[in-house]
Amino acid sequence: MIKRGFVMTLLASLLTIQAAYGDETCMSPYMAKIVGQEDYVYIWTLGLEGVGDGEDKLVTVDVNPESASYGTVIHSISMGGRNEAHHSGLTDDRRFLWASGLDTSKIFIFDVHSDPAAPRLHRTIDDFVDKTGGIVGPHTNYALPGRMLITGLSNNRDHGGRTGMAEYTNGGDFITSVWMPTDDNLQGAVKSGNYADGYGYDARALPRRNVLVSSSFTGWNNYMMNLGKMMGDAEAMKRFGNTVVIWDLHARTPKKILDVPGAPLEIRCAWGSQSNYCFTTTALTSKVWLIYEDEDGEWQAKAVADIGDASKIPLPVDISISADDRHLWVNTWNDGKVRLFDISDPFAPQQVMEEKIGEQVNMVSQSWDGERVYFTSSLLANWDKTTVTGENDLQYFKLYQWDGASLKPQFNLDFIELGLGAPHQMRFGARALYGGSSAQSPSGLGAPPAY
Amino acid sequence: MEARRHNLRQGWALRPRIEPALRPCLFLLAWAWSALALCAPHDHKTSVVLAPGYAPLAFLPPAPGSYALPTMGDAADGDVIDSRGNAARLFEFLGDKPTLLSFIFTTCDDVNGCPLATYVMRGVHDALQADPKTANKVRLISFSFDPLFDTPDVIAAYGAQFRDPDADWQFLTTDGPSSLDPILRAYDQWVIRDYDQNGDYMGTMSHILRVFLIDKERRIRNIYSTSFLHADTVVNDVRSLLIESNGPAAVVGR
Repeated sequence: MIKRGFVMTLLASLLTIQAAYGDETCMSPYMAKIVGQEDYVYIWTLGLEGVGDGEDKLVTVDVNPESASYGTVIHSISMGGRNEAHHSGLTDDRRFLWASGLDTSKIFIFDVHSDPAAPRLHRTIDDFVDKTGGIVGPHTNYALPGRMLITGLSNNRDHGGRTGMAEYTNGGDFITSVWMPTDDNLQGAVKSGNYADGYGYDARALPRRNVLVSSSFTGWNNYMMNLGKMMGDAEAMKRFGNTVVIWDLHARTPKKILDVPGAPLEIRCAWGSQSNYCFTTTALTSKVWLIYEDEDGEWQAKAVADIGDASKIPLPVDISISADDRHLWVNTWNDGKVRLFDISDPFAPQQVMEEKIGEQVNMVSQSWDGERVYFTSSLLANWDKTTVTGENDLQYFKLYQWDGASLKPQFNLDFIELGLGAPHQMRFGARALYGGSSAQSPSGLGAPPAY
Repeated sequence: MEARRHNLRQGWALRPRIEPALRPCLFLLAWAWSALALCAPHDHKTSVVLAPGYAPLAFLPPAPGSYALPTMGDAADGDVIDSRGNAARLFEFLGDKPTLLSFIFTTCDDVNGCPLATYVMRGVHDALQADPKTANKVRLISFSFDPLFDTPDVIAAYGAQFRDPDADWQFLTTDGPSSLDPILRAYDQWVIRDYDQNGDYMGTMSHILRVFLIDKERRIRNIYSTSFLHADTVVNDVRSLLIESNGPAAVVGR
């Protein structure tokens, strides 16, 4: 039984009351939010040959410390094959979780509202490439009002990095697509530097400034290649994105292309009501970049910090900004470390701690109050490590408690030992978001909830 | 109940002559007063940051007709009741002009929820009415998803607080969940009613605010939620639909 009000939905704008509400901090500002303790973490997991059934899975872990099954896998649904499971995202009402595959370009839509402890497959989009006019590798699944924005990584003409973005209704019907601006088709955007590569990766919105920010990674040819082989291929290493694009959010048209060399990946925008900036990190050059609106209203990009020793290729991956915009968690996949930067001055981040999480570490998600920090390990099937140098800590889902000074381990689930695979994106769930049994009636005029 | 309705009918309503800068404050006073008059169970929230829709738009919106509003699917029909108590089909209110449809309930106590929708719709109405080219070219519909409380009399009284008598602003309700649920399901608008631990309905609801822009062909062309809902951008979207139907002359050259 849970108390009503312990967890509840809120409208997106209420998030501006910082530190009063709880949720992971990397979600769409349009999305319903959770107050307090999350009940579940849904983990989109790569299938690994020889591990369990070898299929991609959506794995549900009970993370409510008051639950008898706390810290255990309570549900898993296999997808019938491997798709290069990568990122996932919830619709704005959190009723559905979209999870995409970078190889097959399939998108799996899970119903997480009927029984939040046991998501079920609602719909599979298997014509993404055709519907979008050739976009390959659906990556970010990002909630906009009543619809999902899907960023691509590649295309079906040369499987390189030129790509686009697509929109679908929450129910999974295609709406439209748009291609990233390139030198041969700037689409009205201003090319502010040396690059207009047309690559894509992540996207985040700042609705109060009518801005959408997109980043750039690499195409199917590279992300499906063995990492060692690719690193030794000078031509392949040239085919990484070097741009961040500023879009008119309302019109979905590109306005300005910024040079951010070295594969800018995740984008996290500040939550403060007057904070018109976002952060990204570059995988190849190991830097924190600030994407900001200057005093003249112009959007600019500036490298503001180094992440470790770039010559050792720490390979920054996921980042997570705290709800008060004061800290940024930065994972570096290659050395398995997390670093915390004080970003109180966004133009001068200072690293304040560093800790080894595992043999490799990729995704990081924190609760809105910042007290719980979750980590997963997997980057890409053909890039992940297969041998260990220390303790066997290759593929895991871990929870740490953060007290402002140190990370204290809470639990560690070994996804190899559990026969699950390689865990990637994490999303939070809560029973009370869906009103118990009344969730079966849109008006809520059915039977009262069971709890 | 009758006293509450009486209070509403005697209530003060917004008028166009009010200084625009004061309208958000006055609207919120009207909303708060209405909520109290209706004796709706509600919690007092503190330090609520108002949604962007209550303030001047912080950016220059894209010009009407300069961007696409791709179709998001067809609008749905269903059995409704208007504020005079007449049974009707929802499609009777759709199809002849662009329409803004918002799902609300009159006792909504979240200032950034239903009151925001009503406030923005009033702003859209005022802006389009002020231009002879666009006057009377849009319909507003506030549709209650609380048929238990929002009877035709209640929605009529509620509507009288916010609209001019001659405005094409419809306030609709239903006769119960058998009519309401298919409509809400079709528009993907879900409501969570709040129950206490004894299973008793507390009189409050949670929902994601959604306002739908529907064109003359009864197609959904945009959906707005709290962070996205502002009269200036909605007006430009309506103007874009008018340009699409009638050419640029529909909105320029007064």
